[in-house]
Amino acid sequence: MQILFNGLIQGLLLALVGLGFALVYNGTGIFHIAQGVIYAGAPFILLMCVQAGVGWSVGVVLSLLFAVVLSCLYEVANHGPLQKREASKEIHLIASLGVYISLVQVIAIIWGNETRALRNGVDETINLAGVILTHSQLLGGAASAALLAAFLIWLKRTDIGLQFRALSDNPTQLSLMGYNIRRLRVVVFALSGLLTAAAALLMAVDIGFDPHSGLQMVLLAMVATIIGGRGSFLGPIVGAIMLGILRSQVVWYASARWEEAMTFLLLVMFLFLRPQGLFGQAGRVEAQL
Amino acid sequence: MNYLLHLLIYLDIYLIVTMSLNLLMGYGGLLQVAHAAYYGIGAYVAALAMLKFGWGFFPAVGLAVVVAGILSLAVSLPAWRFRGDYFVMVSLAVQSVGYSLLYNWVDLTNGPFGLTGIPRPSIFGYEFDTIGAVTLFASVTAGMCILCTVLLLKSPWGRLLKAMRDDELAARSLGKNTRMAKLQAFMLACALVAVAGSLYATYVSYIDPTSFTLDESILMLSMVIVGGTGNIRGPLVGALILITLPELLRFVQIPDAVAANVRLMIYGLLLVLMAHFRPQGVSGTYRLQ
Repeated sequence: MQILFNGLIQGLLLALVGLGFALVYNGTGIFHIAQGVIYAGAPFILLMCVQAGVGWSVGVVLSLLFAVVLSCLYEVANHGPLQKREASKEIHLIASLGVYISLVQVIAIIWGNETRALRNGVDETINLAGVILTHSQLLGGAASAALLAAFLIWLKRTDIGLQFRALSDNPTQLSLMGYNIRRLRVVVFALSGLLTAAAALLMAVDIGFDPHSGLQMVLLAMVATIIGGRGSFLGPIVGAIMLGILRSQVVWYASARWEEAMTFLLLVMFLFLRPQGLFGQAGRVEAQL
Repeated sequence: MNYLLHLLIYLDIYLIVTMSLNLLMGYGGLLQVAHAAYYGIGAYVAALAMLKFGWGFFPAVGLAVVVAGILSLAVSLPAWRFRGDYFVMVSLAVQSVGYSLLYNWVDLTNGPFGLTGIPRPSIFGYEFDTIGAVTLFASVTAGMCILCTVLLLKSPWGRLLKAMRDDELAARSLGKNTRMAKLQAFMLACALVAVAGSLYATYVSYIDPTSFTLDESILMLSMVIVGGTGNIRGPLVGALILITLPELLRFVQIPDAVAANVRLMIYGLLLVLMAHFRPQGVSGTYRLQ
């Protein structure tokens, strides 16, 4: 039970990152590795703000703002121009990888390579019907569940949510209807950055952070997106929660060192047995290139 | 002088690596990110054969080549079904599982502590124990590997690979067995990179799993992308650039603490610049599509 809950909370946090990845991946087809920079960078901005003595709330707002601006910059300066030249997906992937590698090194040069923590000392715990949770776990779980629910409602209820779904279905058709998809893509990136940074801050409070944690998170988010099913927004959330639970079970029953291998074995199993994922629509994999 | 010879050995090793990766990327059109795993498998199998069985260098390399060739099925069989993003994910999974095995199979690989005391290569009783001799040996090996690859690519088999890259369905409809060709290409590439891995193992005489991570795969990928794909000189140029560039940085006064970060930052920037302005690389002919 305890392990299940740990996994669930890890999964909820991962779901935020997964949704951030899926937003960009569904909407634009870009393999958004540079998302890792946002994940790694946001806690450092918060840390800087707290150390400068501007208070937590201002710090959180500033780091979320940083994430949104950076994420928009990706689209405006990197992927937008590439898209205009009709670059292939591989080129987008390579460009995104390049951005990730260089910006993470910038973070490491500014703040050092060490692991940092946002809080001091041992966290207080709370006992809920036999399950012991730390305060930061509780905060992480509750905040991410709320954010996910808000996002899903927003996607269903608002006009721009409808445009998002249309963009991930068929961007050409959407632009033929007279919608400005370039601007919509920037919004997609902004929202993705916001979700990622929120997850990063919640995770940083719980387990600390370092400049190089981004790539691993993005890979997990990618796995969650694929097993959830591309094209779907509920998929990555369910996928991420599954992944979080699986990973915590592996840590408990085998060893933390097998976490990665098990994650990717799950991915391979899905790719072979159900390439469209849990909530995706079946189609020829080759046809979706 | 020794410093230059040392660089030359590294260059030789990476020449083999980039040639083999070019076979997959430039001629097969597949973005393979599991190459460091095969490099590691080559290094470990050769080292273990020499240390545990007391084999000579050549039988050990032979074994490494065979093992890597067989294990290449792990990426080549999925490549029958998946292209594009999906193939990238499969090879990511292989990379991650391969690394976990090297790291976790402690009885065989000694886990994170690595293997020490790997002997230098010897031929007919003459041991290549000075750095000059090793340089000669590595250069001859690299030269032979490059020659073999060039001859193969000039043959009808090389043309088949190109045809498959440009239009797999068309090649198949002309009665070409593209699946077999893919299998062979992967086998050859993994076998070649295993040769490079065993050269590396005997040269540095100490290996541990951290030399064979995803980052290493990305470095290999960057070499091929920067240099250019689809012809013979592209990967050679790429290896030359990415090996010499960080060495040139030594002569610029950068504090040691951030030297590694600056180097990686430049790799990343190179990738972004290439993606934007020269997708076929410095001297390549094939644009990743």
